[in-house]
Amino acid sequence: MKTAQAGTLESMDCLVTVTEAQSGAGVKIDITGASAARFRTAMEKKITEVLSAMKVSDIEIQVQDNGALDIVLGARVEAAVKRLGGAA
Amino acid sequence: MRRTMLYLPGNNPNMLTRGYLFGSDGLILDLEDAVAMSEKDTARILVNHFLEQGEFGNCEVTVRINGVDTEYWKDDLAAVVPFKKLNGIRAPKVDTPETVKILDEELSAIEDKNGIPVGRTQIFCLLETAKGIWNAYDIACASSRVAAIIPGGEDLTADLKTSRSKEGTELEWARRMLVFAARAAGVDPLDTVFPRVSDDDGLRQETEFIKQLGFSGKSIIHPNQISIIHEVFNPTEQEIQKALKIVNAAKEAAARGQGAVSVDGRMVDIPVVKRAEYVLQRAGLSEVK
Repeated sequence: MKTAQAGTLESMDCLVTVTEAQSGAGVKIDITGASAARFRTAMEKKITEVLSAMKVSDIEIQVQDNGALDIVLGARVEAAVKRLGGAA
Repeated sequence: MRRTMLYLPGNNPNMLTRGYLFGSDGLILDLEDAVAMSEKDTARILVNHFLEQGEFGNCEVTVRINGVDTEYWKDDLAAVVPFKKLNGIRAPKVDTPETVKILDEELSAIEDKNGIPVGRTQIFCLLETAKGIWNAYDIACASSRVAAIIPGGEDLTADLKTSRSKEGTELEWARRMLVFAARAAGVDPLDTVFPRVSDDDGLRQETEFIKQLGFSGKSIIHPNQISIIHEVFNPTEQEIQKALKIVNAAKEAAARGQGAVSVDGRMVDIPVVKRAEYVLQRAGLSEVK
């Protein structure tokens, strides 16, 4: 399976790893790190928003968070997905 | 006012988030030298998201794009120009008026495509070669979008085949030339960065020098440099009081139908009034009753 990454583990950033999934597998999100416990739902919502804007429905996403704001999370997910597609 | 324009690395979420809190007059979200080649794509996307949803307070926001001689510049522009928060782009290595025209054309196309008034995006030109400095006036006049011209520091020094000294001797002529070109063209002359971030005395000395030459402000690379530069550029209380006296006297004289008046024994004519108005403008008091 192809994977791609974007982001860092620096303060206020996150490292997003995306892995191809088979058609129909859906979206699988795994979040670990600083804000995971408190903001998991909001973070999942943001990731889902970005994916649906990019029309991606089958993918595995792993986020290692170090206090990333919504804006940063969204940008890192978009960058990782674009890298996966070779479109970046 | 453009006393201080702070560079923020385009791939650094921490600085992009907090940058406006340091109190500089402007921010430069950097997609060029501060970003590794392997991260040009992620930085562009990050800056795009910040321009869409980020907070920049009252700062003038510009993005330093990659040069027109790279494969990145068109993607950079497409990612940043559509957003209202963007005031302008900072273009590196502008050597000739043609470079400005190339940028102008591309900006117009993007603005048109996105329903933005054509001409809204300003251009801040970095003149980083001897040729760029030589062409300064023509570059500044190449488009009504040009808001400022800025001499390079390190790149210009390298192009001059010399090294950067503490006194800045090697940049002195370029700075003088650039102020003349900018003022003649009606754009702002903004100075290059002071690279020694812990040398406060050196920064103050250089800022006093470039202010005396006629520069409107300086690019900066560290938030600690802001207060020193603002202190140098801000008029003193005494200067403000004197300027107020001059502007008010000139207004009264104009109301009486007189051209020149005397203030504290000195003749006040139009150039003196203009200088006084500029002092008040820098003090944030340009609307004087």
